[in-house]
Amino acid sequence: MSLLKPFSKLPGLNTANILLVENEEQFQQKLADTVVLQEKTVNVNVRLARSLPLPMENEESRPRIDLVVFIIHLTSELSFQSAETSLKYLDPGYFQGKVCFLVTSARNVSVPPERLVSVRKLAASLHCPLLCAEDQTTEGVTTAAHRLLAILKVAAGLVPMATGLYLSTLTRCTVPSDIDQQNFE
Amino acid sequence: MMLYLTTFPYQDSSCIMGKREVQIHFLTLPVLFFSVMEERKSTEETPRNNALAQRRSKSYRQSMRSCVEATHLTYTSGLLTALRIPRSRKAPKSCDITKQVDPDQVALLVKKEWQLSYVTPLYQFRHTQLKSYSKQLSAFMVSEKQQGLAIEVGQELGFKVNFSVVLGLAETDKDAETVFIQILSKQVFSAKDAAPKVVWSGWLTCVNGDLDYLRSLPLEFVSLPLFCTRGPESLTVLVKTWFEKTFDCCFGPLGINSTNLQWLASLWTGCHPTINIQYLKLVWTLPTLPPMDVTYTVHPQDAWELWDSMRQVDTTEDSISIDEVTGFIKGLQSHFFRHFRIDLSAGSLMQISTALGSSHHSGKIKIASPNYIPTILQLLTECALLKMPI
Repeated sequence: MSLLKPFSKLPGLNTANILLVENEEQFQQKLADTVVLQEKTVNVNVRLARSLPLPMENEESRPRIDLVVFIIHLTSELSFQSAETSLKYLDPGYFQGKVCFLVTSARNVSVPPERLVSVRKLAASLHCPLLCAEDQTTEGVTTAAHRLLAILKVAAGLVPMATGLYLSTLTRCTVPSDIDQQNFE
Repeated sequence: MMLYLTTFPYQDSSCIMGKREVQIHFLTLPVLFFSVMEERKSTEETPRNNALAQRRSKSYRQSMRSCVEATHLTYTSGLLTALRIPRSRKAPKSCDITKQVDPDQVALLVKKEWQLSYVTPLYQFRHTQLKSYSKQLSAFMVSEKQQGLAIEVGQELGFKVNFSVVLGLAETDKDAETVFIQILSKQVFSAKDAAPKVVWSGWLTCVNGDLDYLRSLPLEFVSLPLFCTRGPESLTVLVKTWFEKTFDCCFGPLGINSTNLQWLASLWTGCHPTINIQYLKLVWTLPTLPPMDVTYTVHPQDAWELWDSMRQVDTTEDSISIDEVTGFIKGLQSHFFRHFRIDLSAGSLMQISTALGSSHHSGKIKIASPNYIPTILQLLTECALLKMPI
């Protein structure tokens, strides 16, 4: 199984690499453009993928990935399932602050609330942060890019005195036991 | 595009569930940003009388956590008004509703398409004062018409409003009785002695509502959370405005999300042995460019066999769990994928229909058979109670 490993390559100088994984391939393009435009001081490389595992042909030329972001659209069940199956192809070392979940249309009325609950449970069980983003407006995309850049810089080791593992204990998703449905019969 | 299925083998599909764990953080000193994590399996039930004490300490811990943790969703802290999304339901039993409810009134409810809304509890609504409510509503409508606001002038002569009670639909003693409203009017160019026609009808109901919630309401409030309407939108707006003014309540649109549509599909398919559903039709919308609508019609016997094979996994006879429902829909989707290589879970379920009734995502429901009314209304009442702002 070709796992994506976090520390098998050397980092670049003043560089951060982020991988956006999204099954629908619509939001990642906008987000990538905004992320690259926003960051002025650090070289940010954005790589896009539909799902993991990544193709073997690029294995040599691919730089070290500092942050893997799974974009899940709550309007379709397939989005969540594809993200879940992609998780198997990540080396466990990534789950110490180098994985993030980004969820869109969480406020949408037609989305069944159970889907957001299951995404939260997944993120909480993996100790990863869960961000909610608004993908239809430019401000929403800008805000999401800003938050991702903050996490990316820590994960790439560009922020002194902070590591990804350290930040993830502060930003990780938690599921209070009230949301767990079966508890309150 | 339509697909008629003959027979297909049942395919098991398991869904991945994350681990259930509760993490509690105890902060030693906020300055150090060091947290000790303690894991606890949440398998024991919290006893009701101790829950309040537990909540106080939890909220203290929550506020301590909130100053260092960036993301956390707030949860409803009200003990009595927290509602739960049900994970299992009772299997619908065919009951002859005409034993409980007047058959004429049942005929008013079935075979018509209703638009759903939710309504918050009504303040000081009395079932005994329905006649005065009828007069007030018709006077309100006449005055609004004279102001020239709502309805086109000149089409209808006058409105006569009829409030009535439909006895027998309420399941528990906490449910309020269903109220049926009809607006009749004479057309301008009708014959002199012609009876007024029904131009608008609607009903407020509560069937098997959440008992904890209903018990927690103060005595002056009557909860009839489900509001079904049929007729011109202008009249619906007028009726809602009058209700909001008189009983201090709020209305809102009630959509039926895909999970509830799947529940309805499974419940109706499960009724196939007793009453022939004739077809099971599901309509999906896929987010392609241009958007594609897929109408998937299943032969009732095949649908029932698939549903029955899902049901054999469960041991208890009476209750249906959400896993069986999702397994049923996944079976249908995987069969479609095998034939057309289109994964329907990438889209959203918009409409389901059988001979027993049909339901649309935007909040339209049509019940064709009077036998399963209580089950359907119970599901819709739950949707309304969950959607309602508490």
